[in-house]
Amino acid sequence: MNTLPGWLEAGAGESRFRTMLSPDSPYSLEQLAAASRAMTMRRFGRTMTLYAPLYLSNHCPSGCAYCGFASDRKTPRRRLEQDELKRELAAMKSLGISDVLLLTGERTKAADFDYLRRSVETAASLMQRVSVEAFPMSTAEYRDLAGAGCTGITIYQETYDQARYAELHRWGPKKNFLERLDTPARALEGGIKTVGLGVLLGLADPQEDALMLFRHIRHLGKTWWRAGLSVSFPRIRPQTGGYQPAFPLDDHQLARMIFAFRIALPDVELVLSTRESPGFRDGMAGLGITRMSIASRTTVGGYTEPDNHEKGQFDIFDDRSAESFCRALREKQLEPVFKNWEHAYNGPSTETRKAT
Amino acid sequence: MDSLQLGSYTFSSRLILGTGKFSSTTVMLDAVKASGSQLVTVALRRFNREQPGDDLFSPLASIPGITLMPNTSGASTAAEAVQAARIARELSGSPFIKVEIHPNPQHLMPDPIETYEASKILAKEGFMVMPYIPADPVLAKRLEEAGCASVMPLGSAIGSGQGLATAEMLDIIIRESTIPVIVDAGIRSPSEAGLAMEMGCAAVLVNSAVAVSGNPPLMAEAFAEAVGAGRKAFRAGIMEKSGIAAATSPLTSFLGSGT
Amino acid sequence: MHEMPQKITIQVNGEPHTLFSGSSVNDLLADIGSDGKTVATLINNRIVRPEHRRNCRLENGDHVEILIFAGGG
Repeated sequence: MNTLPGWLEAGAGESRFRTMLSPDSPYSLEQLAAASRAMTMRRFGRTMTLYAPLYLSNHCPSGCAYCGFASDRKTPRRRLEQDELKRELAAMKSLGISDVLLLTGERTKAADFDYLRRSVETAASLMQRVSVEAFPMSTAEYRDLAGAGCTGITIYQETYDQARYAELHRWGPKKNFLERLDTPARALEGGIKTVGLGVLLGLADPQEDALMLFRHIRHLGKTWWRAGLSVSFPRIRPQTGGYQPAFPLDDHQLARMIFAFRIALPDVELVLSTRESPGFRDGMAGLGITRMSIASRTTVGGYTEPDNHEKGQFDIFDDRSAESFCRALREKQLEPVFKNWEHAYNGPSTETRKAT
Repeated sequence: MDSLQLGSYTFSSRLILGTGKFSSTTVMLDAVKASGSQLVTVALRRFNREQPGDDLFSPLASIPGITLMPNTSGASTAAEAVQAARIARELSGSPFIKVEIHPNPQHLMPDPIETYEASKILAKEGFMVMPYIPADPVLAKRLEEAGCASVMPLGSAIGSGQGLATAEMLDIIIRESTIPVIVDAGIRSPSEAGLAMEMGCAAVLVNSAVAVSGNPPLMAEAFAEAVGAGRKAFRAGIMEKSGIAAATSPLTSFLGSGT
Repeated sequence: MHEMPQKITIQVNGEPHTLFSGSSVNDLLADIGSDGKTVATLINNRIVRPEHRRNCRLENGDHVEILIFAGGG
C-alpha cells in the first residue's frame, strides 16, 4: 500500500466538519439546513449556475467496476468527430446551455490528448465556458488544454479508501491511486482555473471519504489559493438495478453531507447532477447546492440522437427539460444562470505559482 | 513537545515581547524574564553617548535563550526597510527581521505595498522575514509566496488596545495560511492574547500592553500564561457552540421521513 | 617647527564632529566613548563591518551613522 501525502492526515479546523457529518451529530438536519441555506444565500445569492455534460467518447481501457463505460461492458464504442461535436453543441445551445462539461473515458488511441484538445477548441468557439472531465494529464498537457480554452477540470478520486480503490479499479490506467490524487494539483499548476473534486458515494465509507475529500479541498485551497474549487456529490443509487453500492447512502445522509460541506467551506461551489431525483434536486436548490447540470444526456451523441436507447455512463433520474427545470428554480425564487463566465476570460491562469 | 517552529529555529514560548515604551531598562528586562519570551523585538537607534542605557544589546543578550528580532521601524519605504534589515543583521547575528514600514508616523499603519516589496527582497537574501501587515488575507498569501517565515497581521491599530478588531480577517488568514500567523499590535489584555491563540495563531506579539501596565513583569507573566492556555485549548479542540438555529418552517421535509 | 596635524570634519549621527585626518572608524568610536561591540557603523550609507573598522579611514565630509539596538516593538 502506498503512503498517503501528509495533507490527508487529520488537521486543525476539521472537528466541526466531523461533528456535522457524524450520524450521532448533535446538530439536527434542520439546524444544518438552516445554517447551510443562510451561508449559501450570503455567499452565492439566489442563483444557480447551470451546465450540461457532453460525452465526447465512451472508449475506455479501464475496468472500473461501477462504470457503464468500463472496457468489459458490451456498450458500442464511438467518439464524436468534430462536425458531430459541433452539431451536439448547437443542439445544447438551442436548449440554452452555454456552459459545457466535456467527458471521455481514460486515455485511449481513439480519444487521446490531441483529440481532447481539438474538442476543447471546438467547444470553446461556441460555448461561454468549457470544462473537462477526462483522464489524468501532465502539467504541460493541462497548460495546453487551458490554452485551448478549458477553464475547469473535474477529477473525482472516486474513493480515498486505498483498499476499496484497488478492488474497484480492476484494471487499466486508473489503478494508480496516488497519480490520480495528484492530478488536481497538476491541473492547477498547468493554469487550469477551477478544479472539481468528488467521491462516488456508495463505494466506501461515506463519512471517511467525505473527510478525506474535505482535506483534499483544504490542501488545494491553501496551496493554489487563486483557484476556484468545487465539490460534486455523485451517488450510486441501488434502485436503478445497475452496480450495487456496498455503502448505500440515503437522502438524509446525502443532505447532511452537502450541508456540512457548505457550512465548512462557504466559498466552494457545490454541484449536484441529474443522477438525483427532481424532488431531491429541487429541495437542495438554495440549501447548499450552487451548481447543477440540466437536460443531460450521458450517451455519446445524446443531444442530437435523443431516441438512442444506448446505456449511458450512469442513469439519469431528473430528465426534465431545461425549461421545466428552470421553472422549478424560479418557483423557489432562484435565478437560473446560464452564463456565469465571460468567454474573454478563457485562457490559462497567468498566476500559477503556489504557496510554499 | 508543542513548539513554535520558524525555519530552523524552535521556540517553546509563543509569546513574542516588544521592548519599547518601558519606564526603564531594568523593568523591561524583568518583564522579558517573567514573560519567558525567547524572541524579543528591538529597534535600531542612533548611538547617544549621553544615554548609554539605551543600548539594549548586552543586557538582552545576557538573558539565556533569547533571540533578537530587530524591526525596521522608522522606515517609510521598502528601500529604507531593506537597508535597516541589513544593518540590523550585522548587529543581531540573527536572521529574524520584523518588516515594519509606516509612511505616516501618526497612526503607524503598515504600508502593504512597500512591505511586500521589502519582504520579497529580504526573503531572497536569506532573512527570516516577519512582516507586520494589515489583516488582509490576499496580502498574507502573497507574502507567503514571497518566502516570508510568517505573517504578522495587526489585531487592531498599533498601541490602540482595541484587541482583535480584525478577528474576521484573522480567521481567514489563519485558515488559509501555510506559514505561522502571529498577531501583532492591538492586544490589550491577556484574554485577548488567549483568544488569538485559541483561534489558531502560532504566536502573539505584545509590547504596549505589558510596558504601560502598572506592573510590567507581572503582566508579562499573565500574558505568558494566557498564551500558553490559549494554545493548549486550540490543540485540544474547542467545543462547538451549541444550537445552530433551526428554521421555523421545516427545510428538509422534501426528504421524507428517512430510513 | 613641526607641522600641525590636519583636522577633518565629518557628520556623526547628524552632528558635526572634528577628528584628526587619517582617523579610522575605530578611532572615532573610541573618541565618542563606544567600545564598538554593540554598534553598527555606516559611512555614507555603506555598512562597515567590525573587522574593517580599523583600516577604514574617514574623510572630510563623510556621513557616519553609529547605531545601536534600543527598545522597540
